[in-house]
Order: sequence, then structure tokens, then C-alpha cells
Amino acid sequence: MTTVQGASSATDDFLVKAARFFTPGTVSSDLRTVTKVGGRDGDVFYRDRWSHDKVVRSTHGVNCTGSCSWKVYVKDGIITWETQQTDYPTVGPDSPEYEPRGCPRGAAFSWYTYSPTRVRYPYVRGVLLEAYRAAKAVTPDPVDAWAAVVGDPETRRRYQKARGKGGLVRASWPEVLEIIGAAHVHTAKVHGPDRIFGFSPIPAMSMASHAAGGRFISLMGGSMLSFYDWYCDLPVASPQVFGDQTDVPESADWWNASYLIMWGANVPVTRTPDAHFMAEARYRGQKVVTVSPDYADNTKFADEWMAPHPGTDGALAMAMGHVVLKEFFVERQVPRFVDYVKKYSDLPFLVTLREKQGSWVPDKFVTSADLGDEGEGAAFKTVVVDAATGRPHVPNGSLGFRFGEAGKGKWNLDLEGVDPALSLLGASGTEGVEVLLPRFDVGQEDGEGGGSHLRGVPAARLTTPAGERLVTTVFDLMLAQYGVPRDGLPGQWPAGYDDPEPYTPAWQEEITGVPAAMAERIGREFAQNAEDSGGRSMIILGAGTNHWFHSDTIYRTFLALVTLCGTQGVNGGGWAHYVGQEKCRPVTGWAQLAFGLDWQRPPRQMIGTGFWYVQTDQWRYDRLGADLLASPLGEGRFAGRSMIDTMAQSARSGWMPSYPQFDRNPLDLADEAEASGMPPADYVRDELKAGRLAFAIDDPDAEGNWPRVLTVWRANLLGSSSKGNEFFLRHLLGTSNAVRADEAPEGERPRDVTWRDEAPEGKLDLLVSIDFRMTSTGLFGDILLPAATWYEKHDLSTTDMHPYVHAFTPAIDPPWETRSDYDIFQALGRKVSDLAPGHLDVRKDLVSVPLLHDTPDEMAVPGGVVRDWRSGEVDLVPGLTAPKFVMVERDYTALGAKMSALGPLAAKAGMVTKGVPFSPTVEVEELASRNGVIPDGYAAGRPSLATDIHACETILALSGTTNGRLAVQGFRALEERTGMPLADLALEEEGKRITFPDTQARPVPVITSPEWSGSEHGGRRYTAFCINVERLKPWHTLTGRQHFFLDHDWMTEIGEGLPTFRPPLNLNRLDGDQHTGAGREVTVRYLTPHSKWSIHSEYQDNLFMLSLSRGGPEIWMSPQDAAAIGAKDNEWVEAYNRNGVVVARAIVSHRMPAGTVYMYHAKDRTVDVPKTETSGLRGGIHNSLTRLMIKPTHIVGGYAQLSFAFNYLGPTGNQRDEITVIRRRSQEVEY
Amino acid sequence: MSAKDILLWVVLPYVTIAVFVTGTLWRYRYDKFGWTTRSSQLYERRLIRIASPIFHIGILAVVVGHVIGLLIPESWTDAARVSEDMYHLMAVGIGLVAGACTLFGVVMLIYRRRTTGPVFAATTRNDKTMYVFLVAAICLGLLTTLIGSGIVGDGYNYRETVSPWFRSIFLLNPQPELMAESLPSFQIHAVAGMLLFIAWPFTRLVHAFSAPLGYVFRPYVVYRDRGPHDSGSRPSRRGWERVG
Repeated sequence: MTTVQGASSATDDFLVKAARFFTPGTVSSDLRTVTKVGGRDGDVFYRDRWSHDKVVRSTHGVNCTGSCSWKVYVKDGIITWETQQTDYPTVGPDSPEYEPRGCPRGAAFSWYTYSPTRVRYPYVRGVLLEAYRAAKAVTPDPVDAWAAVVGDPETRRRYQKARGKGGLVRASWPEVLEIIGAAHVHTAKVHGPDRIFGFSPIPAMSMASHAAGGRFISLMGGSMLSFYDWYCDLPVASPQVFGDQTDVPESADWWNASYLIMWGANVPVTRTPDAHFMAEARYRGQKVVTVSPDYADNTKFADEWMAPHPGTDGALAMAMGHVVLKEFFVERQVPRFVDYVKKYSDLPFLVTLREKQGSWVPDKFVTSADLGDEGEGAAFKTVVVDAATGRPHVPNGSLGFRFGEAGKGKWNLDLEGVDPALSLLGASGTEGVEVLLPRFDVGQEDGEGGGSHLRGVPAARLTTPAGERLVTTVFDLMLAQYGVPRDGLPGQWPAGYDDPEPYTPAWQEEITGVPAAMAERIGREFAQNAEDSGGRSMIILGAGTNHWFHSDTIYRTFLALVTLCGTQGVNGGGWAHYVGQEKCRPVTGWAQLAFGLDWQRPPRQMIGTGFWYVQTDQWRYDRLGADLLASPLGEGRFAGRSMIDTMAQSARSGWMPSYPQFDRNPLDLADEAEASGMPPADYVRDELKAGRLAFAIDDPDAEGNWPRVLTVWRANLLGSSSKGNEFFLRHLLGTSNAVRADEAPEGERPRDVTWRDEAPEGKLDLLVSIDFRMTSTGLFGDILLPAATWYEKHDLSTTDMHPYVHAFTPAIDPPWETRSDYDIFQALGRKVSDLAPGHLDVRKDLVSVPLLHDTPDEMAVPGGVVRDWRSGEVDLVPGLTAPKFVMVERDYTALGAKMSALGPLAAKAGMVTKGVPFSPTVEVEELASRNGVIPDGYAAGRPSLATDIHACETILALSGTTNGRLAVQGFRALEERTGMPLADLALEEEGKRITFPDTQARPVPVITSPEWSGSEHGGRRYTAFCINVERLKPWHTLTGRQHFFLDHDWMTEIGEGLPTFRPPLNLNRLDGDQHTGAGREVTVRYLTPHSKWSIHSEYQDNLFMLSLSRGGPEIWMSPQDAAAIGAKDNEWVEAYNRNGVVVARAIVSHRMPAGTVYMYHAKDRTVDVPKTETSGLRGGIHNSLTRLMIKPTHIVGGYAQLSFAFNYLGPTGNQRDEITVIRRRSQEVEY
Repeated sequence: MSAKDILLWVVLPYVTIAVFVTGTLWRYRYDKFGWTTRSSQLYERRLIRIASPIFHIGILAVVVGHVIGLLIPESWTDAARVSEDMYHLMAVGIGLVAGACTLFGVVMLIYRRRTTGPVFAATTRNDKTMYVFLVAAICLGLLTTLIGSGIVGDGYNYRETVSPWFRSIFLLNPQPELMAESLPSFQIHAVAGMLLFIAWPFTRLVHAFSAPLGYVFRPYVVYRDRGPHDSGSRPSRRGWERVG
């Protein structure tokens, strides 16, 4: 470089020198610069280009969990563009910073404001509007008019059949609000408020907008539908293992990891703004391993790439666990690991063994009650063996200490000097016994049930009031399960790593295709690094592993790795699950608003997947019977039962919510209960027992049990998440569809749930879609309301990727006739109040409530022993063996007033999050000053919630993460229960109150709060469970520790008591051959991962993203598969199976493994979707090929961590097990 | 002398000059941000690295050839004792090489433009039209060189007809009869050339006027004084009086 410069310098000097007298301006003596005067007229152009009316802070508000703060520019009253904010508070020295955050998708958003896809006015389906106007001409009362429209079957079917076929016409705001209001009033009055539903996901990304509608639906008495489990983003293993919905490290904590595995998570594509931490950590010496069947983008960053066959990740992790247990727990005992699992996991806890087929099987946790304790919570106090004395010992911290008076100060992980024995091996009085364990790698030919094999554990005899029981520890069971042999134990064991028996590296190679030596080495390195670094080994998990039917099983094998290696609760370590995860950090305040808890409790909250599975009648086509999943060691609990039968049992046992609840309007039921003079719960119990009252789910197709009104906002249900999309169209909406499946044949139909020969089509009276852009939901909706975009309203955003809370601010007022979600629902509330007199007035509503997590309800099912009141195994006791039945008074005439004011219950009854109570007395008074009070009417004197800013202020004031006083208050309450010092985590910020203007000025770091399990105290990076590890606060589980073993009856029944491997469902066997015989066809695994050019359907329709990608629907396939059907790159192909059909262009890429295709998630039908040859209809969406399948263990409840909470536990809307047939189609397409 | 001759050899040249000059001024005045070649080097590098220099060096040589052939009267070269044969040998030798380079370069550039997807996508209708004019002028020019030199046909001394006519235009004493009697091939080439110059100001060809020759003689760092403005480079506007 220098020599070149030196050589040319002489020439340069000569040229400059020679020309200097002709050069305008003054040449400096060193010949390096020339100074000219003027000539800057052109500057104006550039200065004008960057002159703006204003620059406001906003962000992108629904599905993207990036929560990047953006500058939005307005010029001449028009939103011009956006750029990344760069003012995130620092994460401290020796670490990269968060700023700038943002990706090309976010940078393209402003396109939507004035785009052709923008919805500018309210629209109604023409047929419906005509019918309504005609009816209103006859009966001027809007509610009566709506009754007339839906009361006439012919009219109702006419507009239902028009759904998705255009014909939307403009209407005025007053008119659409009147129709929607009338539909709600009519439905509540005639069918019951539990027939009203609302769907809106991910509140964290725009809390006020979410809460606005949630509040309306909840105050109506309708039900909000869960989304986290429905999106299959909820890792059910998290409640199972941690008793926590999801809690994970922020992305800056990746920097602290020294060994990072990205498992089915394509960080550069799906977490673009955060990926830099991973790339940067590599320069710090971090080793990066990716696990992905395809050559995913993140593999470019990786030191090692493991490519297991899709869905076999569990096998790989089991083999890695085998290596970890053998080398770090048996051959050598790493002190750190042993101490960790003794203190923070259930490994030392005792489990009884039960005789089975002449051998033994693991049964239940030993509890204090087994030792003769009859005290409070004894059945939920689990037991270890004191290594010093060899006697059973009941340590603190289990569920039995959590709620009662006697447990105060003892719900903690302090072992108080006792050293629990991890294993019983070699202890006096123990014997080696054979245990039978299920395995699912064999016996897959005729079912999913697998086989079993014999292993051995050391067992001791324990005398209990019920007689002598054989017991062992969870650790001993784990070694047996993983096949790690120890001398002196009976059973069949693998001879070494190269013996292909469960669960050795050689065994996994046959299943996953990953070389045995590689699995062994990575497993060893992961643990070795954790040992050397003090736990800084991390696994980032993604949808690639989380969207399978058996993802809970897969995840438990991962969580076993991170827990065994003592990485949970350590900065730079642990699990890092980033799949549609949403961390609504100010969760307490948001929940008050979103469910109207400040006025009425309890709200109705429904499991999304359960709702759609039942109401779209997918159960009628489901041939996956519950017993097909049962382990060969099961007790036949599922014999002859279909999935919906297990759901019905879950509903009547109070495990999971189920709305619509009964075959009767709950308003009428409440009147009857009052008239009877009995306590309402007793009345309902008697009615149920007498068979005069039935759960709606027992006969979901009966007309009286249909859902009637559904409002979708901030979501694109029918273009994105609707797994089994064609079934939605057929049964829920009653319009044209491409369902190709036959209903389940006789013999595979439900045993308990009523089968009606004629399946209903068109259950919904009204589908309302609120969006700023046209989506499939809008196309199929009856009424489409124009919403404000994310740059046109006030709101709040948080994420788990970073620790800040920041604001949405309107850059412009909502243009055309658009309105913010907040204003729309406020107006709707007022409209319902106007229409209610004479129809609803003040009514009592009988609400059935499931047994809830983090409440004493979770002690309803001791030992997880399932007893069904219907079969007479147990008496029907509301709140114990059945749901609770609670009377709620609803003043419908005051609904609008309640919507726009903060009710008294927040302060009077307090607020509870995850079992931690908060009392916001001071805050409510403060809010009255800050927001002002309502001057008159029903809510006179209450703090105002009339505007979105009021809502944001209220959310911030009522949450510990944004209000130091409440954080300290919550910690104090927790100190009382745990007896451990905690308040100091927030004490330094007790006086800090984050207000809405603060969040508009700059992203504000949140306060450490008992609402979450990590700590930001002292500026440290957030990681999950460090409060549990450092402050000995128990996990919210049965033992209070992280669980390897789950002893619920149904977990045992399907053979998943311990971490195990289950292959993807064999849908080919289940559903039969899907070939049509037309042309050359190939059957492939059908996966729908996330795209680089969209966040769900958002952005895939954005012109910029369409230009950057190929655009339109496309299916990625391998050259081998493409060759098999004779398709070339970019040619049209058609994919079909029993669920439906989709047409797309083929992208032929060597990135794809043979036998697997990708159709990126959420290809909506608004861009370039031609008609299919197969159905003749417009070509479907990615979810036209998927359908719902329920796993019974996701719907258990009432037992410790396996209890319901909204978005915490529920059946997942999984879709990865699906297969499809593909063929090359005619290249002439018709639109 | 027909009306056609007047039209072609008197009117058309002056129209060409008028359009060329006013068009260029107009373009400079109103389309400074469009004054660009719209370089496609980002999309394709391999071919352009070879083709572009060949074409540009060729066309510069062609320009020099035209200057010598058209502007310098035969009498001057005679006075310098350059014989007709010698002159021809030189003109044909250099002219053919330069012309061939130019043609080869432009063909390669067009081939590249047509076959490289992103480059073709960045090609406007204006560009395509310009290429027709440019290639026509080049091809016809080569043809005249071949004819004039006698390689094809009998040879023709254009310095007795075309060159004096060309100079007469600028001396404001047009002599269309000189052109009228020249060979049709020269006539067509001249018309094609004039059409190219008419199109010139409205195409990317304007970049010829902003070839960055100054870079060679200029220091690397250029400072521009703000001049007489008080603050920044934005002209003062109506508003509050400036303080201090």
C-alpha cells in the first residue's frame, strides 16, 4: 500500500504542480488540498432531503418480537421513511451495544401507510349490509334488526357463502358500529356472552391496542382466545419443567455465552437485529454450533453444523445427554453439576415404583403424606433422602409450602444443611431392581405407541401408611432412561457409545443421520465448557424444533442438557427460546386493562387451539385417536377415545377452560340459579349431575353450542395462523373450501362427544376484522374496519430480546377514515351501552373457571391421579374435580363507561401476577391526577382511560417492571413467603416511576420485578431464573425445582414421564396415501418456517420485500425432489394432501435436503395466487395443507405446574409433522 | 440543387447545431441529477472492464480522425508535403483500427447489456434508441472509410467535397452543392451523424462533457468555502431577524 502510494505520489505531485495555475481555487503548498469559494448551491438539495416536519419515535407493533425503536420521518405532512433509533441506554463496558436495532422488514414499513393494500374506509359485505338495512326498515331497533338477519336461515347462509368472494362495500362508521354492537348485544342476550370471542396476539408489541379489545370482549363476558399455544410458540416443556410460561435471556446475554448451540433457530433471519451479538461473541472465542436440516443462513456463522433429519432433534439431544450423564455424573462427578442438580432440580427426589408385567415402572413422587404427615399441603411436599442419615427428608420449597399459613417462610430452596442423596446406589438396604421403560424408536409400524425395554435402578423400601413401597430417585431413573450403565444393576444396557441401543450416539446416528462421533463430541464439549466456564453454555431454540407434535418431548431433552450442566439461571447459559415469545414486561398493569379486572372478575379466557379444533370441526376428520399415543406400559386410560373425548374430560374436570361453556345461555343459567335460592356453584353442580345441563363441548355441533361473533384485530387469522385453513372456511365460515379429507370412519369417532351426521357449515354469525391492510381475514370477514398503523397511534412495546420499554408515537393522525384500535373499541363499548337497554340491562352471568396455575387450585389433583366425576370415580366438586362456577354481575348499559375508566377493583381487591400480590392504592390516586378523572356518569370520579395515552400511563403505573414501588412491594410479599431476602433487587429503584413521556424520550430499562425470574439489578444482563438460583426462590413446580420427571397419570400413560425421543407422527400411515395418480408426484415432509422477507404475512405483501425476494407463494425444494416431478426452478407446482391444496412456484435449491420442502410461513392469498388445478379455487395459503392435532398431555390441569393459565399451558397448534404430495402443474395459470 | 439538398445540407446542419447547443444547455440547467451515465458496473464487471476501454479509446481516436479529416483543409497537408497516398494510408490505417475497436467495443457492450439480466433491466427505452443512432453512425462511418480508401469500390477523396462543406457550415457560408455531389454512402453517414448529435443532449451521451479529466490534475482534497452566507449554505429566508 505505502509503496504504491509513494510511487504514484511523485507523478501526482508533478501533475498537480503542473496544473496548479489553471486550477480554480487555491492549491495548498503541500499540494494536497485545493480551496474554492462558493459552488455549494447543490447542498440545498441534500439539506432539504433531510429536513422534516418532525421525527417521532415509534416501532412495529404485532408479531415481530424485535421491538426495535425507530425514528419515523414526516415531510410536508406525509410519512416519508424510517430509520433506526440509536439511543438505547448502554449495556455497560466490555459488551457490544443494542443500537442500532432494526432490519430491512422494519425499514420497509412506512410503505404501508399509503399503499394499495391500505384499508381506508369501513367495509361490509354487500349482501349482509342490504339484509341489515332491509331488516332495519321493518324493525328499527338495531338489535331486533340483527336478530331478523341471523334469524332467517336463508339470509344467514347467503352472506356466509359470500365470504371470501368480494362484494365488500363502503359503509359509514356509525352504521358499522351499530351492526357490530347489535350483533354483540343480540348474541349475549340470546345465545350467551360466552358465544362471543376475540382474537389478538402478542400484547407486548402494542399493549394498549391489545388491551383495548381484550377489555371490550372481557367486559361483554366474551372470551379472549389464547395465541401463544395456538401459534405453537409456547414450548409446553417450559410449564412442565419450569412451571413458567417462558423466560429467557435477553440477546445481549448471548455475548456472555462461551458455547452457543443454535438449534432450529435461524437467528440472522428471524432475530436480525440481535444476531450481531452472536457474530460478535465469536470474536470473543465463543464456539457456535448450528443444528438444522437445511443449510440455514446461520450455518454460515457456525464452527460446526449438525443436520439431523427433520423432527429427530430429540434423538440427538438424548444421545448428547447420554454422554453428559456418563462422563460428568457417573465416570466422574463434576462437583458443580452435582451441587446444582441437588439444589435446583428434582433429581434427588424419591419416586415410588409400581409393579407391572412382573417388573417395575416409575409411579409417583414420594410425598410427605406417604410418610404419614397429615398436615397442610402434605400431599404436595416431595421427599429426598438425607445422604448423611439415609432417612427420608422433606426439604423446603415444594408446592406444599406455597400457599398455606404453615408454609410461610419455607417456600425456598434452602436445603438447610441437608445433603440430599442423588442416587441410592450402594446405600445400605437398597437393591437393584429391573424397571420397564417405554421407548418409541421401535414398534412404529402399526401405531405411535412404541415398545419397552428393561433397565435397572437401585431401590429402597419405604414404609408408608399404605404399606411398604419400593422407591428410587429421579436421578437413578434418569440414568436408566438414558441407558448409562452402572455396576451391579440388572437390565439391558448399551455396551458403549458405539452400541446402537437407546440412547447412545451410535443409536441416534441411525435416526438422525448425524455422525455418532460428532454427537458425542458436541455433547462432551457442551458440558465441558459449562464445567470450565461456570455454566456459560447456551442453547438458542427455535420454531424448527418447537412446532412439532412432540415438541414438548423434544424440548425436555434440550432442557435436560442445560439443567444437567448447571447453566440455567447463569448469565451466558441456559435455554434461550425465541419463538413468537412475548415478554409483556409491564404484565400486571396490562392484564388489569386487557381483561377488565378492575371492574369484573374473573374474565373468560379460552385455549386457542382447543377452540379452533372444536369449532372448525377438525375433530371430525381426526384419525389420531388418543390411544394411538399411549405407551405399551400404559393402563389403557385412552382406550377407544378420540382426542375430543380427552378434551371434553379436561373441560368437565376444570383442567382447561372450555367456551362456549354449557348448552345454555349462562345469563339464563344465572337467573335459574338465583331463582333456585341455592349457591350458584351448588345449583350448577346439581344440574350437571342430574344431566339437565351439559358442557357445550359434549355436543359442539349442536346449533345452540356454536360460537357466534368473532373479532380479530392485530392479527391475520385466515392468512397466517389458521392451521387447517380449509376446515375454517368450511365449518366456521361456511364458504367455499378445498377440504379433501373424509370424516373419520365409524369406529374411529368420539366415544363420549356427540357425533351429528350432518356437520354444520357456517357457525359464525359475524366475523369482524380490524386491520390497516387487506388480508385474508379481511377478505373473509363480514365487516372490515380500517385501523391506524403503528405510526399513527400511541402505545407501548417491550420484548425479551432487550430490557427496555419504549413508545409508539403517531407521526400523523390516522388518515382517511382510519382509527386506532383503542378508539374503535371505545366507540364499540359506548355503542353496546346505547343498545343494551331493553335487551340486556343488568344481568348476572355464570362463569365457569378452570383450575388456575399459581393459585391453590393447582393442588386439586394430588399425585396427578386422574378421576372423572362423570364415570363416578369421584364426586363432582366445583373447584376440585370440576371447574369453579362463579357469578358475575354485568351492567351492559355501563359497558362504555367501564371501558374508559379504571375500575375500583385494582386497588380494592389487588392485583396478582404469578402468585405475587400487588396493591396499587397509591398508584390509582396518582393516575387520577395524571390522567384526570371521569366527571360524571357511571364511572364518575374514576381515573380516565379514555385515550391510548391514559391506557399506557395506567399500564406503566400498575406494573412492577415500570414502577419501583410495586416491584419492592411484590418482593416484600415474596420475602414473607420464601423467607429469603429479595427486595434489595429493586430497592435502589423504589422511587422510580417510568411514565409514558419517558418511554417516548428514549427506551427505558425496566426495573427488576417479581413478575419475572431474572434480574437487571446493577445493570446486569437479564437471564431467566437467576432469582431462583441466587436467591433460592423456588420454581413454580411441584418440587419447587426444575423437573426431569413428571408423574401425572396422563404423562405416564403416554410414556413421557422422563425425557425421551418420539419420532414425528407417521401421517402417511395415519391418513393413507395421498397420491392422486395424476402426473409425476412426490411425497415430502412439509415445513413452514419463517421467511427472510416477512414477519408472518406482514411485509410479504410489501413492495420492497416482494422486490428483494422472489415474491408470491413459493415452495423451496431440493434438486432431487424437483427432478422426481420434472419441475425446474421457478415453475408452477401444486402441493396437496387431505387438508387442502396450494399452488406455488418452485424454488429449486441445493440448500434443501431431499425429501423436505419449505413453504415459508404466512403466504397470504393477496399476492400472486392463481387457481389450483386440484380444486379450481384460488390456491390456498401455507396452512391449507396443515391441520390441528391435539396432544392429550397438553390439556391436563389442576396439578402443580400442569395447571391452566392463559397462554401458559394449552394444546399447541403444531403443524410440522405434516406431509404433502407435490406435482408439476400446467404452467398456464389463471387468476 | 433540389429542395432536398437544401434541406439536408443547409437546414439540417443548423437545426442540429441549434438542438445540440440549446438541448445541452437545457439539460444542464434542468436535469443536473440526471446528468449521468447510469453506470452498470455494479451489476456486471467482467465484460465492461474489457469492452468499455476498447470502445472509448476507439471512439476518441475516431473523433481525432474526424477532426483531422474534416477541419484541416487538403491544402494544409499538401503544404506540409503530405502526399495524398500517405494521407490515405494513415487515415485508413488508423481509421480502420479505431473504427474496428469502436465497433467491437460497442457490440460487446450491447451484448453485455442484452444478456446480463440486471443490466438489461436497467436499460431504458432512451438507451435503446441511442444505441440505434450510435451504432448506425459507427457502421456507416466504417463503410465510408472503406469506400474512401478504395478498399471497397474505387476510392473517394472526401476532402474535396465533404470537408469543405463541413467547414462552410461553420463559416456561415453553406455550400450544399459540395455535399450533393459526394457519394451516397458519405451522405447517409453525414445524416446519421447529425441525427446522433440531435439525440445527444437527451441521452446518456452527455457524460462526454463531464469526463473527469480534472481529477488527474487536482489535489485529492477539495474545500469549498461557504461564501458570503452567514450560517450554513442555505440561502437566508424570510423569518426572525438574526441575532448577533
